[in-house]
Amino acid sequence: MTQELLMSSTETRGRPGVRRYAMVIDVRRCIGCMACQVACKAEYDVPLGVFRTWVPYRVTGKYPTVKKQFLPRLCNHCDDPPCVRACPVEATYKLEDGGFVLQHYDRCIGCKACMASCPYNARFMLPEHRTYTDITKVVDKCTFCYHRVIQGLVPACVQTCVGRSRIFGDINDPNSEVSQLVARHATQVLRPEQGTKPHVFYIGADRSLTDYGRAVYHKDEQADIERAAFNRNKHI
Amino acid sequence: MLKLTRRTFLKASAGTTAAAVAAPSMLRAMEADLGGRDIDPVSLIERKSIPTNCHVCNIQDGALAFVENGRVVKLEGNPEHVSTRGRLCAKGNAGMWYSYDPDRILYPLKRVGKRGEGKWKRISWDEAYNEIAARLDDVLTNGHPNEIMLKWGRNRTGGVLERFMHTLGSATILNHTSVCESSKKIGMEPTWGPDIEMPDFANTKYVLNFGSNVLEAAYFHNPFSQRVTEGRVDSNMKIVTFDVRLSNTAGFSDEWIPVYPGTDGAVALALGHVILRENLQDSDFIENWTNVSVQELKDHYKQFTPEWAAKLSGVPVETIERIAREFATTKPATTYTYRGPAKHMYGSYNEKACMMLPIMTGNIEKRGGYCLPRGMGYDQPQPQPPKPATPSYLAHPDEYPLAGHKVSHLVPFWITEGKQKIKVYFSYQDNPVYTNPGADAVWGELFRNEELIPFYVCLSPFMGEEAQLADIILPDVPYLERWEPESMPSSLWPWLAIRQPVIKPLGEGKETRVYLQELIHKLDPDGSRGMKKFWGFKSAEDYLRKQFENIPGLKEAGGLDFLKKHGVWPIYGKLNPRTGKISDKSGREIAAEYGLYRKELSAADMAGAMVDGKGAIHKNGKVIGVQRKGRNYVGFPTHDRLINVRVDQWAEYGFNPMPTFKRMPWHENMKDDEMILTTFKLNVHKQSRTAAVKWLAEISHANPAWLGTETAAKLGIKTGDLIRIESGVGHIVTKALVTEGIHPKVIAVSTAHGHWGYGRLAQLKLKEAAGQYGAADDPDLKNVWWDDKGVHPNHIIPAVADPIGGSQGWYDTVVKVSKAQPGDKYGDMVADWNKHVQWYKEGMRYTYVGDMHRKMHPEMASWAGPDSVKHKATGGH
Repeated sequence: MTQELLMSSTETRGRPGVRRYAMVIDVRRCIGCMACQVACKAEYDVPLGVFRTWVPYRVTGKYPTVKKQFLPRLCNHCDDPPCVRACPVEATYKLEDGGFVLQHYDRCIGCKACMASCPYNARFMLPEHRTYTDITKVVDKCTFCYHRVIQGLVPACVQTCVGRSRIFGDINDPNSEVSQLVARHATQVLRPEQGTKPHVFYIGADRSLTDYGRAVYHKDEQADIERAAFNRNKHI
Repeated sequence: MLKLTRRTFLKASAGTTAAAVAAPSMLRAMEADLGGRDIDPVSLIERKSIPTNCHVCNIQDGALAFVENGRVVKLEGNPEHVSTRGRLCAKGNAGMWYSYDPDRILYPLKRVGKRGEGKWKRISWDEAYNEIAARLDDVLTNGHPNEIMLKWGRNRTGGVLERFMHTLGSATILNHTSVCESSKKIGMEPTWGPDIEMPDFANTKYVLNFGSNVLEAAYFHNPFSQRVTEGRVDSNMKIVTFDVRLSNTAGFSDEWIPVYPGTDGAVALALGHVILRENLQDSDFIENWTNVSVQELKDHYKQFTPEWAAKLSGVPVETIERIAREFATTKPATTYTYRGPAKHMYGSYNEKACMMLPIMTGNIEKRGGYCLPRGMGYDQPQPQPPKPATPSYLAHPDEYPLAGHKVSHLVPFWITEGKQKIKVYFSYQDNPVYTNPGADAVWGELFRNEELIPFYVCLSPFMGEEAQLADIILPDVPYLERWEPESMPSSLWPWLAIRQPVIKPLGEGKETRVYLQELIHKLDPDGSRGMKKFWGFKSAEDYLRKQFENIPGLKEAGGLDFLKKHGVWPIYGKLNPRTGKISDKSGREIAAEYGLYRKELSAADMAGAMVDGKGAIHKNGKVIGVQRKGRNYVGFPTHDRLINVRVDQWAEYGFNPMPTFKRMPWHENMKDDEMILTTFKLNVHKQSRTAAVKWLAEISHANPAWLGTETAAKLGIKTGDLIRIESGVGHIVTKALVTEGIHPKVIAVSTAHGHWGYGRLAQLKLKEAAGQYGAADDPDLKNVWWDDKGVHPNHIIPAVADPIGGSQGWYDTVVKVSKAQPGDKYGDMVADWNKHVQWYKEGMRYTYVGDMHRKMHPEMASWAGPDSVKHKATGGH
């Protein structure tokens, strides 16, 4: 209990005077259209083979009682981010006002310690070739669209979300939609046992999806085939 | 290199902080804007925003294009667009890759080798015009204008192609609607007027979805999906989906009810049977607004028992009875259909059967119900060329008098049979060699035959499977580089919009309305042929301006200039960041108008009108409305202003005028080892053109065949195994995907994959050099990690048509599925033209002049036969 009340020096949830941005993903509203994933690719000229956000799915049940569920994924912009602690050169950092976990591309030495420390697999190494952006061969990740948010815009994935499944805002403001959604609904976060205090909250996420990519109950053979192709032909 | 520090963040966000401090008592947080602007993440410079209209597929969402350094880098939905509300689907978000496809054709090409050999010569526009004009001149001088044929796949030119063909005097205009949804249209049009419904998903409490995958494709994927999620989560609506396969829509639904392919109509009739048997219908609506009585309906529906439907469809009797009661007693409720019911031999009957459910429960034009589509039109500049005097057999085949949207997929057989001679063939955004039944085995066969198609001009910027077989390719331009008018009935609020060039046409690309005018001017330089006068436009923009000059309301708002600035008209309100809905000035969501058929006629309308004993209001030889309880209503846009449950025109041709169901004869006696092959669209692809879009291809690049767990176990097949799918016309060799989400008697293969044209990415031939036809390379394609391009199923699907609606029976193909045989290779596609001809002939036996027609319609025994009707030319587009 006392552990719960203790706040690490980096945590900004509930700290007066600063914003703490968060995303709520209402899985009940996610139709798996992949608009978010593609909008993100466009916003950042994200190369093939890597993703800042992605939408895995599971088919659960036995014929004819079968469901298909999606779980949009991205960096959780943890309040206590292990990647920040793991970075030997302070290339990865967390902004106090806003809570964004960001990356200094010019400091990154590409050691991948942050990638190894992230329990969400949210970080990746940029390949050598991109369409028009010259930041390459360093680690990149979702920025919660920092550059848009500071100019009063929601992140690109939220902007285009067809089912309005993704909602973004300041969870330190009790009147924001994200605060109210979290207050009204039972929410889930991914891998809470890691103590990272993730700031992507899910409504209606099923265990077959939140059990972090390991298809314990419903093995997805097609995903294995795709993964094998990626490992066979990857360029990073 | 960008440095993000805390200082820059505070500096950049100072404005918002100040606003928040100034208004501490606000109950509502300062929510961020939902869009309308975009910023470069590296330079932090705001990107230039230009409104336009998406055209990756045919949903036609309002879009904003963000341009940076002359390049379109980002697309999003237009926040001022009432249907789109600022959002685009995955395809729309990736639309710039139509323009920046490294294998795009950027100058005119002329074939130099044999047809299909792949040898091309770059020629100038002038050379291209001279060649084409000489061919057209020959037809116009020595032949008949109908020997010039144009077939489009997607025509959103706003009348430009029709003007071109009518200028030449040819009626041989073909479309693609018969491989799309035409039997849905034909099922609906004679019944209530329009060819599509507008379900009010956001406000309904119950949706019966028959075979529509609206959350991935269908009309109108993005706008409707927004409302489906709203209804489901905010309004506690229940959605029940009948489908042979667990689509994303079925997987999202409260209940997925698998049905045997093609039997949706039987289930719908049985649902109606239960509703009428238990007296749950809306008798008032039926008596007042349809052309049948409740008693007639009850008598007619007696035959469609749940037991009968359960036997055909596999849906249990209890389920049918339960769903019928739920649907009839939950108000408001709606149905929604798409290709599931319609794309069968008797798809028109299926559609009609589904449509009867909202009609008999009185859910028509109610808030949360099944509404009429809301549309808007634009003008055609004057003078217009007259409609051609001689009809074309191919455009209006005698055997399909009711198929108002044509039967274009049977054209290769008719040309081969010599029904109509073709000398010059134009194709526009149409790749039948890939998209049509039979694919290369049918259309490739046609195009390779230089006697049947002596000259083929392909109007396309991409080297698709059809373009590979052309004689001349004119580099048309993708949607971000053109002027076009647009309107779609995609929400409860009608709208008009434009596409405008966001960037200039790349290379030597030209837009359709520009090069067709130049071609006509080449053909008629001095106007002596009477063609030039229809093509006096100063520019593409000038042409479009004339289309918007005289629209009441828009004219006052500024006409084309308003549309150039906003992209869409009218603007009904502002996108509310708190709700994602369009709000009026008071902050409330804008209100829709319902009950369109109950609009009252004005005194001026009634002047000189006469009301008959049934309440029909006659004026100038037409029925203009319906009188009920002393009030004069406009009614439905049909000949008698009522919903025609009984379609008398169908009876003239020996078809059942009342709701009915006919089972495909070749599904009657299927053997144990036979299954039905069905195809489908995925969330990230349209049919033929998105395989070359890298972000979409990355998500979905291969199309393993879905097989049910039980079926696969019986056949000894596992996911990833090589399998052979054999139909009556050929076989393909592909891989299996074993899943719980499919009917045990169905094998499903998605389309959009397995290209043998369409550039290097679609074919995974990335070792070949980029920019073969002048386009710039994309270094990112070096990162392609997948090595499976999929296998296209259309080769082995025979071309058959609904004898009423003319629609291709995509989901009727009986196949045998087995493990691959020795010698089979992944990607084998073997199909035989002669076998396709046999199947086409088999299909023709079911037309109203065919020998099977009477056998299929014993209830129409009193019909006097095909000689009793005279062929009437039908409308359609």
